[in-house]
Amino acid sequence: MTEISLSTRLSTFLRSFIIQGSWNYRTMIGGGFAFAILPVLRELFEGPRLDEAVRRHAEHFNAHPYLAGLALGATARLEADGAEPELMLRFKSAIKGPLGGMGDALMWAAWLPTTVLIGLVAHFAGASPWMCVLLFLIPYNAGHVALRLWGFGTGLRWGHDVGRVLRGAALGNLAELVSRGGVVLLGMLAGFLCVAGARGGPIELLWTTLMAVAFTAGLILGERAWRPAALLAVGTVVCVLMVAAR
Amino acid sequence: MTLLNASLLGGALALDATTVGQFMISRPLVAGLLSGWLAGDPVSGFLVGVVLEIYLLVAFPVGGARFPEGATATVVAATTVVAHPGPGAFALGVGFGLMWGQLGGWTINAMRTLNGWVAPDPAAPLLPPARVVCGHLLAVLLDFVRGVLVTGTGVWVAGLVVARFSGNWPLGEEDTVGLFLVGAAVSVGILLRSFGGLARRRVIFLGGLIVGVAGGIFL
Amino acid sequence: MPILLFRVDERLIHGQVVIGWGSQLHPERYLVVDDDIADSEWEQDLYRLTVGDSTKVSFFTVEQARQRVSEWMSADERTLLLTRDLCSMLRLARNRLLEGKSVNLGGIHHGKGRKMVRSYLYLNDADRGRVRALEEEGMHASGRDLPGSLKVGLADLLEE
Repeated sequence: MTEISLSTRLSTFLRSFIIQGSWNYRTMIGGGFAFAILPVLRELFEGPRLDEAVRRHAEHFNAHPYLAGLALGATARLEADGAEPELMLRFKSAIKGPLGGMGDALMWAAWLPTTVLIGLVAHFAGASPWMCVLLFLIPYNAGHVALRLWGFGTGLRWGHDVGRVLRGAALGNLAELVSRGGVVLLGMLAGFLCVAGARGGPIELLWTTLMAVAFTAGLILGERAWRPAALLAVGTVVCVLMVAAR
Repeated sequence: MTLLNASLLGGALALDATTVGQFMISRPLVAGLLSGWLAGDPVSGFLVGVVLEIYLLVAFPVGGARFPEGATATVVAATTVVAHPGPGAFALGVGFGLMWGQLGGWTINAMRTLNGWVAPDPAAPLLPPARVVCGHLLAVLLDFVRGVLVTGTGVWVAGLVVARFSGNWPLGEEDTVGLFLVGAAVSVGILLRSFGGLARRRVIFLGGLIVGVAGGIFL
Repeated sequence: MPILLFRVDERLIHGQVVIGWGSQLHPERYLVVDDDIADSEWEQDLYRLTVGDSTKVSFFTVEQARQRVSEWMSADERTLLLTRDLCSMLRLARNRLLEGKSVNLGGIHHGKGRKMVRSYLYLNDADRGRVRALEEEGMHASGRDLPGSLKVGLADLLEE
């Protein structure tokens, strides 16, 4: 088992922050993966063996950006242990699905909206703009960087055995817990919005009814309610109103 | 000067969204404040950010599919609103930002297709490490340039549109607020659905709602 | 309702299978038939991550699967059976063991000499030979990534 030097590990970890830099439809983050793992490969190989190693890691890969470091760390471990290329290919193809799914559920669907809601609720509760932004950015990035560090360290330590650790970490339960906090904040935001509507004068029946309809539409349709077609329809109505007013 | 500052900020924040870091300074909430601050009025910029954030919070950056680009859209809207006071300019600026966000999303997809040639290709006859580094960093630079261009043209066009049409905005301030609240209600509904739905989360949602109403009245 | 779906997919258990097919067929267990993965515990751990704890996932070699497949087909548990490649599916189907069953080709990616049939399906001469052999063993092959998308018929699969 070859030990990878600290500076190389650090370099790969820092490079993992731009792993999505050349996102494309052919190899997705494959190019970024090769870019990020390059310091490790340079330490282990030279000449034609280096070229060959670089090529195999430029193949198609995808993962959540914050958890891609876990795959990077584990692959670095496998390279250092002299694993067969075919085994690394199998590892990478088995890990991409779970890393994408778990990262999306935890970060994009739970942690990001919940921390943004902290900032929004703080605004309606009267906090200053800079304070609201910090109340969002500090907790968000504390979680974000912690996840990256944990992922990279876990990958480096466990190599292809990361599956067991991931199962034990129960990121799904964490996402569930965070999203409950998010619902409480969302309720608070909705409350503030109702009051803000009432403050804009006696909230007219038309706007109140439309708000209720809009809330229900969002609840039933989900993201489809925000399709460009829907936006276009609203835009057209506004334009007609404007022309009529002239 | 404002145009140049806003374009560079747009380029930098566009990078944050997917290409570099994802520290989420590209979120409308942050981008609105930063561009308002650059244009001389952080509070108005932040308000634009708050409105756009409520609308765009439901579009998660999950790989592949097309999303409105919040960063450049917010810089465009906030810069425009700071330069043109009044409810008409606010409404048109925010509306224009939302539309420009769709265009931004489209340029991201176009860039990702283009990146298919820029990014290192594992099937290429020769793939030296230097090619991997250059290709990858070139793609990063490309995203920055894209962000600058999308923001710059957006601020320019939005300025023209708002200067020409904001006087024709038919709604008063109260009704303009009402219109935005309707949009916000859609987002609250979508978010509640993605957090598990009203049926599963009824108790804690209503709990939060009561706290929010009380807070709105007393704070 | 024994085995609801026989599927060939390089990615084995992933979002498309669990969310796409899972929400339609409501399986109680997934069976993965692959000689390599059957004795690779770390790989099994990774593939198990995509499904919740309430659904069972088991791994077998082709030989083990051949001995138990008739038992699975008459069991009550709603089951999806997956292989990583056409080769394993064909070995499983030999001697008309799966006669009359349909086989779903859901994910074979771009590779040497492979021609695109659909965005999720690339086949070369050897693959087409295996599809023909599956038909000779009495199975009906068709391509489809998700339950909602259009089926790709045998003629399209075999077109060179």
